[in-house]
Amino acid sequence: MSDAALRVDDLEAGYEPGLPIVRGANLTVQPGEIVAILGPNGAGKSSLVKAVAGLVPITRGRVFVHGRDITRIPAHQMVFEGLAFVPQTENVFINLSVAENLELAASIVKARRQAALDPVYAMFPDLLRQRALPAGQLSGGQRQMLAVARALIAKPRLLILDEPSAGLSPLLVSQVFAKLREVRDTGITVLLVEQNVKSALALADRAAVLVEGRERIVGSSTELLQDERVAALYLGRHTGKQAVGGAG
Amino acid sequence: MLQILADGLVIGSIIALGAIGLSMTLSIVRFSNFSHGELLGWGAYLALVASTAFTAFSPAWAAPLGPFSFGWGLLLALLLSCGLTALLALSLDTVLFKRLRKQGSITLVIASFGAALALRNLLLFWQGGIPRYYSENLQIAVALVPRSVGGGLRVTPDQVFVFVLSLVTVTGLHLFLRHSTLGRSMRATALNPALARVTGIDPERILRATWLIGGVLAAVAGVFAGLTVQMRPTMGVDLLLPLFAAVILGGVGSIWGAVLGGFIVGLTESASVTLVGAEYRSAAAFAVLITILMLRPRGLFGERH
Repeated sequence: MSDAALRVDDLEAGYEPGLPIVRGANLTVQPGEIVAILGPNGAGKSSLVKAVAGLVPITRGRVFVHGRDITRIPAHQMVFEGLAFVPQTENVFINLSVAENLELAASIVKARRQAALDPVYAMFPDLLRQRALPAGQLSGGQRQMLAVARALIAKPRLLILDEPSAGLSPLLVSQVFAKLREVRDTGITVLLVEQNVKSALALADRAAVLVEGRERIVGSSTELLQDERVAALYLGRHTGKQAVGGAG
Repeated sequence: MLQILADGLVIGSIIALGAIGLSMTLSIVRFSNFSHGELLGWGAYLALVASTAFTAFSPAWAAPLGPFSFGWGLLLALLLSCGLTALLALSLDTVLFKRLRKQGSITLVIASFGAALALRNLLLFWQGGIPRYYSENLQIAVALVPRSVGGGLRVTPDQVFVFVLSLVTVTGLHLFLRHSTLGRSMRATALNPALARVTGIDPERILRATWLIGGVLAAVAGVFAGLTVQMRPTMGVDLLLPLFAAVILGGVGSIWGAVLGGFIVGLTESASVTLVGAEYRSAAAFAVLITILMLRPRGLFGERH
């Protein structure tokens, strides 16, 4: 058993039998880290984190959270295993108010309402001001904040986010990422899928580049920023050396 | 005119109760359940059997309560029927729909046609085809408004009971969905099942609750239909199209939409019976349905999915 916050061993997962999207991925995230999963479109980044969260069927391999095997645990029980997941889109209940979104999350984990909501409202004061507003009326950035806040209600040890910057302006991305740093500072491990490579590497301690369903490059953010293959793939620097196979 | 309105509201409240359960199945279980109408028929007949048993056990329970045509026996039978119809709905899911859920909604719809046929014919086999009534007592309609005002208005106490209790039931359901954890979880699951799962909501628990609540509402609607009109084994299929019309009119997934849709269908049917003849009742209701859908394709209160 591992002490890692998350350990993914030889994971194969996909929606259709015989057509895996994630093909033998391995990943380790240490407690207190922020780790980014990068990769070209169709690399299987979102499918990998959805498989970890129980939303995509796993056909091979194992997933451990803080040493506990969660491979076969259904998605709705993950919050009780200390894992919270924030989907990329439609990540708030638009027909419920901001407060109802948070209260629902609190009541499901049987947390005392005030004790659960107060710290979240302290971290996201805008949500307190807008608590009576239907979540469907929030802006993109506010929805993302609410989605993160909703996930934090369950007091997870591991927070997984699927492209939290999707559709946000650079200013809002920096605000969301600043909040994720705050989240990490409270002791929560953060794993995020990102297309926005520069911002992700600026936020994350480490990153993994996924290509064709498995990790091809893993290292610290500093290492990846200097990596010629990553530069060729994402940062527009042409080094003359061959990029990672299968990208694009 | 007033009479059309009153009759329409009574019919509409029965349709609304059935339509809410159908709407919940559509938005949470995500298929058109054509056997839902049969739950109304079974609810009505289960209450009849229970009521007969109760009044045989204690004849005093058959004595009419105040101005109504029924006694405590039927009220207790209504409660028992709610429980039994809810169990019937849940059993239908466990035995049939749950096993087919992975095959997709078309398979479920076809299966629901089969279930409807089976349930209807079982009821016919068990209870026979002769129309039945909860009470042989004749109720005299009370004149509330004289003929000189809007054509007059006469209603029976049973009709008032049905209308008021329907509104109480719908309001109770609204409060449950709005304020209870289970109710909010059901609303959340209807809107976004994947997000509901990662929030920690057990989808199977929500499905069970949906079947149970749909069964309870179907039983109440069936008993009310039996109380104000009559009971026949085909009453479920007769009510099915108005139920679907109400759901679509109001917007799938909306409780108050189903209520409003039920009232619109009820009023249209009531008006057409008086103005153009009973045989055009369904056609009139569907003409209104088509007109509203042309103006609001999601229905009056349709939520985004």
